[in-house]
Amino acid sequence: MSNVLRPYLAAVRSTLTAALTLEDFSSQVVERHNKPEVEVGASKEVLLNPLIISRNENERVLIEPSINSIRLSIKIKQADEIERILCHKFTRFMMQRAENFVVLRRKPVKVGIQPSPGVLRFIDPRVAQGYDISFLITNNHTDTMLKHKIVDFIIQFMEEVDKEISEMKLSLNARARVVAESYLTAFNV
Amino acid sequence: MDVNFRKIDIDQYDEDALLDSELYEADPRDPAQALNEVKQKAAAVRSSLSKGDVVGALTLVLEDAPYGPNVEEAKNLNLQTLVSILNSTKATEIPGVVKALSTDAQDTLMKYLYKGMALPGWGDVSGSVLLGWHEKLTEIAGTGCIVRAMTDRRIV
Repeated sequence: MSNVLRPYLAAVRSTLTAALTLEDFSSQVVERHNKPEVEVGASKEVLLNPLIISRNENERVLIEPSINSIRLSIKIKQADEIERILCHKFTRFMMQRAENFVVLRRKPVKVGIQPSPGVLRFIDPRVAQGYDISFLITNNHTDTMLKHKIVDFIIQFMEEVDKEISEMKLSLNARARVVAESYLTAFNV
Repeated sequence: MDVNFRKIDIDQYDEDALLDSELYEADPRDPAQALNEVKQKAAAVRSSLSKGDVVGALTLVLEDAPYGPNVEEAKNLNLQTLVSILNSTKATEIPGVVKALSTDAQDTLMKYLYKGMALPGWGDVSGSVLLGWHEKLTEIAGTGCIVRAMTDRRIV
């Protein structure tokens, strides 16, 4: 792990560990329903303060805890247009196969969608706009899987995704160069 | 067919409905008073910083921090004061300073760190400084400190 990334990932790791204290909780609104409260948002006493960990304006993580589920959204670093396209394709590929990743959400959260506007009021709107990929972890996941493994998975994902995108960018550029060279040889005299 | 009636929040007319104000005890001070106190504290913090007393400055700024929905101005000013202290502290001094704080002050510091990270690019709030403090604070105060920052409704 690179040294500059380490404090950021350490902060995400400790916050996620703290947030992953989930328990079974049935809906207070509809009888015999049991759903992730962070998604439903119908009773605000079970939603906790959302926390943001940011390295800079372009790289941040939003963690929205609640009693029986947490939602973790990642804004991946995108320095230029190519990285933006690659990131979009990559996250889309993953999210279309979300059920294979168990904790992945099919769509990233847009602005912190919060039922009670009061909870998010301290988040700057410029910062709150959009995340690239979201995870939804419920008490069923923490019951069936080891908590520290889930945390490890998220951290490893965050490490890998940056690496993956910069690798793809390099190979894309190399390919473009080869294509351009072989195309332009036709005009070579 | 007009379906707008579906968007009416009927629960707000329920007598048992829970209000934001019932989740925590409101700040007893009114906005002007809170702002005044924060301004006085900022001046006191500057004088203790010039004497090199980081612990004293931090305790001062974390004590009776303004919270709640109506005191935005005081909250922002207090954050600015706090960030100026954090920025002026050397990385090697952080563990000693954090250890010297009381548990309540540590919890409030954690809340401010998250608040600072939620709005990077505001003046001199820098992500790396806050992350450094966050790491040291978690080492010393443990994850319980983060849980308390998460569950406390008195948002600073």
